[in-house]
Amino acid sequence: MRSLYVRSFGSKLIWGLVSSFVIVVCVGLTAQTEDTRMEIQTKNWEGRGIENGAVIFANNCATCHGQQGQGLQGIAPALNSRYFFTRRLEDVGQDGVMTLSNYVYLTVAAGRPSKDNSQWVNRMVPWSSQFGGPLRGDQVVDVVAYVMNFEETALQQTASEDPFQPFLDVSKPPEFQNIGISADAEWTPVQLAVTSVLPMGDRDPDYLFGALACSGCHDLNEPQAPSSMGESGPNFGTIHELGTYRPEAAADPAAYIKESIMSPDAFRVADYDDAMPDDFANRMTEEEIDRLVQWLLDPDRVTHARDAEGNIIEE
Amino acid sequence: MSVQSPAPQKKPWFLALLSALDGIFVYLTAGISTGEFRAMLRGDAPGRPNTRLTPHADAFLLHIKPSYYHESVTRFTHTFRLGLLSTYLFLFETITGIILMIWYAPSPERAYVDMIRLLSNVPFGQLMRDLHRIGAELMVGIVTLHMVRTYLTGSYKPPREFTWLTGVLLLVMTLFLSFSGYLLPWDQLAFWAVTIGTSMAEAVPPAFVGEIINLLARGAPDIGANGLLRFYLLHVLFLPLLLILFFFVHYYKVVLYGISLPAQEEEVGEDTANRVPANRRVYYLPEVLLDEGTFLLAVTAIITAVTVFLFQAPLEHIANPQQTPFHTVAPWYFYWLQGLLKIADKLWAGVIIPGVLLVMLMAIPYLDRNPSRRGADRRVATISGIVAGVLMIILSWMGTPAYAVQGAPALEVVEKLMPEEKVGISRKIGYNHIPFGTYDTREPITTDDAEFAKLLHEFVHLLEVWEEKAPDFNDPWGLLTVTQDQANLKHLRWEITWLSNEGTEEYFKQDYWLHKDSYYWEQYGRKKFGVPEFLEMQNGG
Repeated sequence: MRSLYVRSFGSKLIWGLVSSFVIVVCVGLTAQTEDTRMEIQTKNWEGRGIENGAVIFANNCATCHGQQGQGLQGIAPALNSRYFFTRRLEDVGQDGVMTLSNYVYLTVAAGRPSKDNSQWVNRMVPWSSQFGGPLRGDQVVDVVAYVMNFEETALQQTASEDPFQPFLDVSKPPEFQNIGISADAEWTPVQLAVTSVLPMGDRDPDYLFGALACSGCHDLNEPQAPSSMGESGPNFGTIHELGTYRPEAAADPAAYIKESIMSPDAFRVADYDDAMPDDFANRMTEEEIDRLVQWLLDPDRVTHARDAEGNIIEE
Repeated sequence: MSVQSPAPQKKPWFLALLSALDGIFVYLTAGISTGEFRAMLRGDAPGRPNTRLTPHADAFLLHIKPSYYHESVTRFTHTFRLGLLSTYLFLFETITGIILMIWYAPSPERAYVDMIRLLSNVPFGQLMRDLHRIGAELMVGIVTLHMVRTYLTGSYKPPREFTWLTGVLLLVMTLFLSFSGYLLPWDQLAFWAVTIGTSMAEAVPPAFVGEIINLLARGAPDIGANGLLRFYLLHVLFLPLLLILFFFVHYYKVVLYGISLPAQEEEVGEDTANRVPANRRVYYLPEVLLDEGTFLLAVTAIITAVTVFLFQAPLEHIANPQQTPFHTVAPWYFYWLQGLLKIADKLWAGVIIPGVLLVMLMAIPYLDRNPSRRGADRRVATISGIVAGVLMIILSWMGTPAYAVQGAPALEVVEKLMPEEKVGISRKIGYNHIPFGTYDTREPITTDDAEFAKLLHEFVHLLEVWEEKAPDFNDPWGLLTVTQDQANLKHLRWEITWLSNEGTEEYFKQDYWLHKDSYYWEQYGRKKFGVPEFLEMQNGG
């Protein structure tokens, strides 16, 4: 054991010198590669931000905007869209005033309170906790990073591939040639504002469920379970067994659902904030609501494929 | 002839310069002349009177050090320099910590963003963070080992009882210092480890006292902006100051009583540490100073090399109070507490047992009346010490997720392949090795990519393992779907379907995304200099 201890002066000095040399080499190697390392780390954290954004987008935004950003007709605009990345800012008069990234950030954070009478059935609610929404600041930043990451694919779209729906609130009609789409390209304008297509009073429940944007928050296929009630509104996959998980509805499920549609505050579950519009009683006739309730309670309900006017497409 | 008075001898200018330089040298070294310094380097014995002792009287930094040691205690294997190393690591942590403070603001909005900025935008930022982290872990280990050494050589016995007591307090402070720093990166690891830690304080009876302690530590019912600020202030101000105070008390006692000699060198019950015969003195200047200096340089070199080549301080996702991680763990030095919590309730495991242990640890010198420090005379003490150590290790193992914690089998399978945090096999093989498509575990594996094939084999294997292990997990099969939602972003959907004991079909789904640029540092085990492989990977190679 005694031999472990170095007594010699010279060997101690050498040990000290060797150690100093090792430290200098290690720090020197680090210095050599710092630029590359910082560049990689910058990209790394941008990439991870987009990954986080994808999760938040899937949980909160995809029901209306689509996970691929394709949008949902009459409900939410496409984000994976050439128009969105090249022209939208100009159309809302913000070109040169702010960047698209800031525009997206503001929209996500504060929602769109001014768009109450727009072509979209639902207005976008504020998502940032700063404005009463559910997301923290860093989550808004990440989800904006995800949206902005659509740019690469969006800019490769041709006119017919762009899923965008012209915005009705812009001051002038979109000029496609300005965004690099040739003027003679065949352009089929997407039918707008589906709510106005079929007259009130005679509409099918499966049509209403989509047209009034119920599908934006309520998933028809996902079952209701204690662990996953539904992100923005309760899942409807097992709504025909409503009484089993909502005891107060057991006596008369149909009346419970009807009441919930007509005045959403009636049985509001605490987890969902003030998200559901309270004007459905004005937007549907009572018979339509009754049929919608029956359709929801039917475990074998059918959802028809429809064209832009709301007519069933025969297969 | 008249007597001629000798003309005043004028020194040549260079000799005058040398003598001036010598004066400066003496001034700087607080009393060592250049000649004496050369004599030290040559290894000459000190003269009489010993002028090498002057700095111990004149220099502030040296007045606390003894001017000589007993030859027996300078042997490396007597103390292993563990006390010195603990002190050095505290200094090391202070220096790296102050540098990190420049880049850090203790608020939930800033803390995590500052971490990312430190890693991606500050030259040597990652190195500083890694050094600080490894130093902290090491300090806990070294201080513990220092205590173990002191215990095994019986050095806590009279007159050193109080030295031991302050040492135990220093160990506790080191633990809390390390633990309080844990929260500062504000990631999931930090947030939940500290949530567990502070929740133990809640068990202090009566209930309202526990609540108040918890409230004081967290600054609110849950950890938030206030809690982060409090832990920050504890970490950078209160605990270091307290530790410095107790360090000086501790060290003063060490110098006062001297380092205890190897037990066999003195009679039982005797303490001759301060009566060093002249022929066994090893002077601090220059022998011990050089010894300590080279030792610390060597340790620094090892720490630096390990950090630069092997070690990365983890940084998980940003703290999310709404999302409890799959497995929450305390820092490793509190695993034993977590292990206790699994077999006893919060009051016993979180308050009574640790409290009694701490008091007993401090009281060891007062309880152990055996005057002998010799190993042969203290078999009971040695064996009970070893038993306590082994118990600690077993409890620590019980504190890890390996013991008595089991999530849902489907979740465990996916967590192995692509965990919430850290790397897992999927992120390890990386973006380019995960081809698009749908892969069913019931079908034969057909893929050209060898690495991806390994992943799929592991998927099949894990399902088999859990089918055997979990009673309610029958005929499982899995589906991995890799699609693309965006450029440079792969979407991995893991789906597992199985039959419960009642024969109903159960289903589990987990979505993850993997970006081409996201680079999980931990995934390579070793940092790559120049990182050519990474750049190649980025270019699609």
